[in-house]
Amino acid sequence: MSSGTANPALAHHFESLEKQTQAQRLGMWLFLATEILLFTALFAAYGVYRYLYADAFSTASRSLATWMGGVNTFVLVTSSLTVALGLDAAARGNGKRSGGLFFLSIAMGLVFMVLKGIEYRHHFASGELPGQYYTGDIAGSGGSLFFTLYFLITGLHAFHVIIGMTVLAVIGAKSWLGAYSAEYHTPVELAGLYWHLVDLIWIFVFPLIYLI
Amino acid sequence: MSATHASHAQAAHSHVGRYLKVWLALMVLTAATWGLSRFHIPGAAGVAVALAIASVKGGLVALFFMHLYDQSGPNRLVLLTSLVFVTLLIGLTILDNATRFPLANPPDSVTAPQHLRDAVLGARPAVPAKPPAH
Repeated sequence: MSSGTANPALAHHFESLEKQTQAQRLGMWLFLATEILLFTALFAAYGVYRYLYADAFSTASRSLATWMGGVNTFVLVTSSLTVALGLDAAARGNGKRSGGLFFLSIAMGLVFMVLKGIEYRHHFASGELPGQYYTGDIAGSGGSLFFTLYFLITGLHAFHVIIGMTVLAVIGAKSWLGAYSAEYHTPVELAGLYWHLVDLIWIFVFPLIYLI
Repeated sequence: MSATHASHAQAAHSHVGRYLKVWLALMVLTAATWGLSRFHIPGAAGVAVALAIASVKGGLVALFFMHLYDQSGPNRLVLLTSLVFVTLLIGLTILDNATRFPLANPPDSVTAPQHLRDAVLGARPAVPAKPPAH
């Protein structure tokens, strides 16, 4: 008996489960590369306008509540840890523990979103809005451009957090119900990769938006 | 079945200790970059320090949480290739604006001549005196 043929997760066009997993990982990484480049377009716009409106950008950045961005960084990094621990549990065939850790990560994703929502509400109330709707204190186009990019970058990232929480919920529930095993838990690994990427992008958003 | 057994042994090897160390490093680096930002390091140095710390953190996440450290070549190559294009896209776009004839940039930007900025921004200072709301 050749290795892995007994596993129902093995698609017929793959020779072994191991090769299938390698292909799935590579496919996921290719997708993550496109995600990185999607955010890079916004970071490039941020870079250009930060260069052109350096003083306005640093004033606008300092007007943000740094503690909210900081706390959110701690929350997302910790949620990445629980996702990684969930993969470790799945690799040892403990689907219940893996699913539980994924739901713990979703809870932290919700904390992140609530803090972001409170922050957005504050911006709406003080006229720190994108483009022509900016009515804040900074003269010239700098303040308006900062908040345009702020909402584009954090908004796109928040969308990714929501998608990530959905993915973790689906895979976490399947894991809890015993869909995966120590031999085959690639979906748990790929869902984790997506969540780590969301964390990875925030790691760069935090200093760019809040700190410099 | 021997190959399957070998991969079982590998999969069962626990990464928990390593995950916890990486998490601790990420928390410390987050606190460090946050703390350093309060000193308001001027100009490009502050940006460089913040981005250097973010890159170390990103590297830890990619290598250990995302397992590029113990997985083989192709996945690493995909990430590295995307990072080459990240550098090109951000670097060349900023270089374009940085090397333009000054009047080709917006008149209220920092590269424009001062009299032009004053004319566009009016009597108001470009940056109002407002205490930072930390």
